Formats: sequence, structure tokens, C-alpha cells
Amino acid sequence: MSVETQQSVATLRMPGGLGGLLPALILIGLFFVVPVLALLLRSVTDPAPGFQNYAALLGDGTYARVFFNTFLVAAVVTSVTVLVAFPVAWMLAIMPPALASIVFGVIVLSMWTNLLTRTYAWMVLLQRTGVINRALMATGLIDQPLPLINNLTGVTIGMVYIMLPFMILPLVGTLRAIDPMTLRAAALCGASPFQAFRRILLPLSLPGVAAGGLMVFVMSLGYFVTPALLGGTSNMMLAEMIAQMIQSLLNWGLGSAAAFILLVVTMALYALQLRLVGVRRATGGV
Amino acid sequence: MTQPFLSIRKLRKAFGAFTAVHDVTLDIPRGEFLTFLGPSGSGKSTTLYAIAGFQDPSSGNVLLEGKSLLAVPSHKRNIGMVFQRYTLFPHLSVAENVAFPLRVRRRPEAEVKRKVADMLGLVRLESFAERLPGALSGGQQQRVALARALAYDPPILLMDEPLSALDKKLREEIQAEIRRIHRETGVTILYVTHDQEEALHLSDRIALFRDGRIEQTGTGEDLYLRPATDFVAGFIGNSNFLAAEHLETKDGASTIRLADGSLISGINANGAFSSGQKTRLMIRPEAFRLERGPTSAELAVEIVDVAFYGERRRIVARTAAGQEIDIRPTSAAMASQEATPRHRRVFFDPGAAFLFPA
Ligand SMILES: Nc1ncnc2c1ncn2[C@@H]1O[C@H](COP(=O)(O)OP(=O)(O)OP(=O)(O)O)[C@@H](O)[C@H]1O
Ligand SMILES: [Mg+2]
Repeated sequence: MSVETQQSVATLRMPGGLGGLLPALILIGLFFVVPVLALLLRSVTDPAPGFQNYAALLGDGTYARVFFNTFLVAAVVTSVTVLVAFPVAWMLAIMPPALASIVFGVIVLSMWTNLLTRTYAWMVLLQRTGVINRALMATGLIDQPLPLINNLTGVTIGMVYIMLPFMILPLVGTLRAIDPMTLRAAALCGASPFQAFRRILLPLSLPGVAAGGLMVFVMSLGYFVTPALLGGTSNMMLAEMIAQMIQSLLNWGLGSAAAFILLVVTMALYALQLRLVGVRRATGGV
Repeated sequence: MTQPFLSIRKLRKAFGAFTAVHDVTLDIPRGEFLTFLGPSGSGKSTTLYAIAGFQDPSSGNVLLEGKSLLAVPSHKRNIGMVFQRYTLFPHLSVAENVAFPLRVRRRPEAEVKRKVADMLGLVRLESFAERLPGALSGGQQQRVALARALAYDPPILLMDEPLSALDKKLREEIQAEIRRIHRETGVTILYVTHDQEEALHLSDRIALFRDGRIEQTGTGEDLYLRPATDFVAGFIGNSNFLAAEHLETKDGASTIRLADGSLISGINANGAFSSGQKTRLMIRPEAFRLERGPTSAELAVEIVDVAFYGERRRIVARTAAGQEIDIRPTSAAMASQEATPRHRRVFFDPGAAFLFPA
């Protein structure tokens, strides 16, 4: 092919590329932007025009508690997920590829299993007379059943389990990109395994931790099913509150305002992450 | 008997059913520059890794000043190493990379600063201290790796093909630096390469590896002038092998008959041969002369091609038995031979020729 034809093809493709995006843009507009705008509109017009819904949400101690609780649960879940996911991701990264792909298969399979099913399974395991409590009592480690459900512990356990894949997958990618020779070099330089972890492995895996962590945190902020089933009434999360406002109280204005606040917080967090680590790293390098 | 500085004893390393290193025994005096030379897969890196502590040997021992290193984990061996691939810590600046071994040893800040400056001076990269490794060329990265490996004054420096990723010019430049650093620091160096030229001009001694064993250990001259086996002769420098029949050996000097029927005596015998045994005669291309000397043996050849290679010419010639051989007289010697007859005799000193089993 001559240079000239190549050039003309390239110039033709430029506007064509944008044109190709059009259906996708329309879809996003239709299914994302329009509902969000409707939500925003409703939050400042229902029941009457003005910011009274926002004032109510931000000024009331009960709602503030829900906001606080939501962030607390998201933070706890994210931290625990990172702690559990890191060793798993590391093992996956250094495992023989054939074995690693089997483990990956199991992880992905668990993601495909129905969310409700998995959460009910945890209820069976965690309740007062559940498998875990009975086993612990049978071995004599405890005499009273541990309160594992209808509280923060239950929510954390159930949500960490659901969030793990979202943390493990980006982390494995980051860890695999680290040359194992770098760690050998660190060892010969005199770094103990802990020092090599602290000074080399951890800093190098931070982009993966940040990418996975943000994803888990943001998903946790808006989570509904697991907190509703495994959490107690005293630590309600935002999504439950919104559902309650709209479904039970039929207060669309207040519910919309709460949902919009959640959206703004989420976007702000994502923007912050982009600022801190750059676009490529924020998406886990993919 | 004085104790060797570093001693490798009957080292063996098997990966499952495959034995990568069979039986390596080597004593290395303090301050020596020793090179592991050998073809790919001959066990050079595996031997080095056993010294570094990355791989536990299946049997055998590695002793430093008489004390076994095997039970000592890598990070306590106090050994420096430069790898084939670039292994600088990508998130740390050049200065922090060099400082790393000192920081994990919790040396005082003033000492770290001074040492980092010293080391960067040694590899001539003072002005790059604040750069990240990603912003350095391959040659510069390897020099930083060298500085990092030497920062804690290790008694031994291991280098596993540190220059193989670099182009020829850069390689020669850093080779010169490595020689200078060896002179200036007196560190004992174990260097791995499969480039014979690099081995010959860098090292005090060379251990030539083949299939997990050491074929011969000696100075470059030893290996070149007195190869113990035909493998060594073939690996170091260039060599011609001529089919020959062994007639007799007396006092290490053999008499043979070449395929064209000519008899040659006074040849170095590597091993014991029976009368009539088929052997191979090795003659270096540089050992051939165009004029008869006092002790010369001669060979009738037909000149096929003459090429000019600067200080030497390269002649391709064919023996009466139809075998092509490589002859490299100096260009100066050729100058007085301007009319090269197509059929002629070439000469060599039988003392520079070696006999090996066929
Ligand atoms: N972890 C391992 N598992 C299985 N076989 C291995 C392993 N490491 C090395 N080997 C094998 O051992 C042999 C020697 O390997 P080694 O790396 O020591 O060779 P080398 O002399 O350094 O070669 P090169 O010049 O290519 O680096 C090779 O055949 C290699 O395939
Ligand atoms: Mg190697």
C-alpha cells in the first residue's frame, strides 16, 4: 500500500472514530445521565422547590449517623479486604500459571454465583446457632455463641467475601508485573523478607492496592443486599436508608437527595484518585 | 595448607530428574577475578545462584573462609550481585538504590551519604543521583547496579552476564570500568558470561563449563595454548581439527599420520592413545606459517580464498584429503608472499598442535 493511500485512510478514520462512539454515547446518556438528572431534579423540587431535602439530610443527627456508618463500614470492609487479598494475590502471582488459572476460575465462579444465595449462605454460617458458633462451642473455645450477625462483624464478613475478587484481580496484575529478580536483588542487598516487603514489594504494589481499594470502597458505599441481611438495625447504611425513604416513606425528594450525595462523594473520591496516581494507575494499568 | 578464600566443594544441583550441575569443585583466592565461561545451559548461573543462596544445592558445599554458607540466608550472606536483567528498584532514585543496602543495615545517615557519593563517583554517575532508574540507559542502569552491589563493601561480587543486554561499544566501555573497579577495590569477582572474548580479557582465571561440569580451569593463556580437551580447544579461540591416525607417543610427544599420508612427530598428546587409534589434530589458525621454521611440520594445501582482515589475513585452504582449514597469517607475513601459488605448503610448530581422541 502506498503512503498516500495510508494517509487518506487515516484521515478518513479520524471523524469516523468519533462517529463510531455515537451509539455508546447515546446509550450512556439515555441510561445514566438522564436518570441522574431526573434524580437531581427531583431532589430539589419534591415536595417543593429548594434545598430543604439537602438541609434535612445534612442537618439531622440520625441521617448523619447513617452517613458516618456508611463510611465506617466501607472503610472497615476495604481495609480488611486489602489485608486478606494481599497474601492471596501474592500467592496467585507466584503460583505456577496452570494452578493459578484454576484458582482464578474458582474466584470468578464465586462472582457469578447469585449474590442473595451467597449472603443467605453466610446467614446460615454466622447465626447464633450457625455452623461457626456450634463448631467453636463444640471445641470448647467459647461457651456463649459469638454475636456474628446483625452487627458490623456480620456486614464486614459478608461484604469482604463479596469484594475480595475486585481487590485480588487488580492486585495480581500489579504483583505479576514486579520482576521477582528485584526481590532477589533486595535480599542480596541485605534486606530481610520483611524489609523487602516493606521497602520494595509494598511500594511497588501500591497502584494495585489503590485501584482495588477505591473500587471496593466505592462499591461498599452503595451496597444494599448484604448490609440489609447481615447488618443490624443500629448500623444502617445509606443504600438501605434510601430504599426505606422511597419504598416505605414514599419520600422521593429526600431519597433522591441522599442518592445524589452518595453519587457526588463517589465521583469526588474517583477524581481524587485520578489526581493522586494518574489515569492509567487508577484503572489498575489496564 | 592455606585455606582458600571461597571454596566450592562437589556442588551438585538437580531439578527433578534433570541435573543442571553435576560436580563443580573450585577454589577461589581472595581478590581474584574468576569467570564462568560456557555455552547456554551449562550450569553457570545455577552455580552462581548456589553461592548467592537463591537455590539450595542438592549436595556439596560452598565455603567462605572455611565456613559453610549453605545455612546462611541470602540476605545475611553479605554478597554483592549484578544481574543480567536490570533489577534496580524502579520506585527509588539512583541515590536511594545505592543507599538501599546501607539503609537496611541501618547505617548512620552521614555514612550513607558519603558512601553513596563515593559509589556514584566510582561508576561515574554523580550527576544522575536524583534520577529514577526508568530514565537511565541500559548501560547506566547496570553501572548503578554495580554501585549498589559494591556499596556495602561485600567481599565477593557476583555478576551474571551483566553486559549481555548492551551493545558492543557500551559493553567494552563497561568492561573497562569493571576492570578498573576490580583493581581499585580488590573485591573478589565471580563473573558469568558466554562470550569468550569478554572472559579472556577480563579475568585472571576462567572456569570453562560444559553440561554442568567444569571442563578446565586456568588463565586465558592456559586455555588457549594448552587446552585440556577438544571442547576447550573448540570453545576458546578458533581451531582446525584434522583427522589423524596415532602411531606412537613418547614422553608426551606423539607421532601421527595425516589422511594424506604425511607423518608428523613432536605433537602434544592430551591423553593416552593406542597405536593406530583414530584421533583429531588441533591446530590454531594463527599457528600456521607461510615460511618454513627450524622445527616446522608441513601440510600441503590448495588455497581457496584469501581475505583481508586488517592486521591479519584469512586464508581458506583445502588439504589433500579435501578438508577445509582456516589459516590466519599476519598481514605483515603475507606482504613478502605477494605471489601466492594455488598449491603450496603451509607450516606449523608441532609443539603448538594438540592431539585429541576422535
Ligand atoms: N528452576 C529450574 N528448573 C528446572 N531446570 C532449570 C532451572 N533452572 C535452570 N534449569 C536448567 O539447568 C540448566 C542450567 O541452567 P543455567 O541457568 O545454570 O545455565 P547457564 O549456564 O547460566 O546458561 P545461560 O548462559 O543460558 O544463562 C539449564 O538446562 C536449565 O534449563
Ligand atoms: Mg545463566
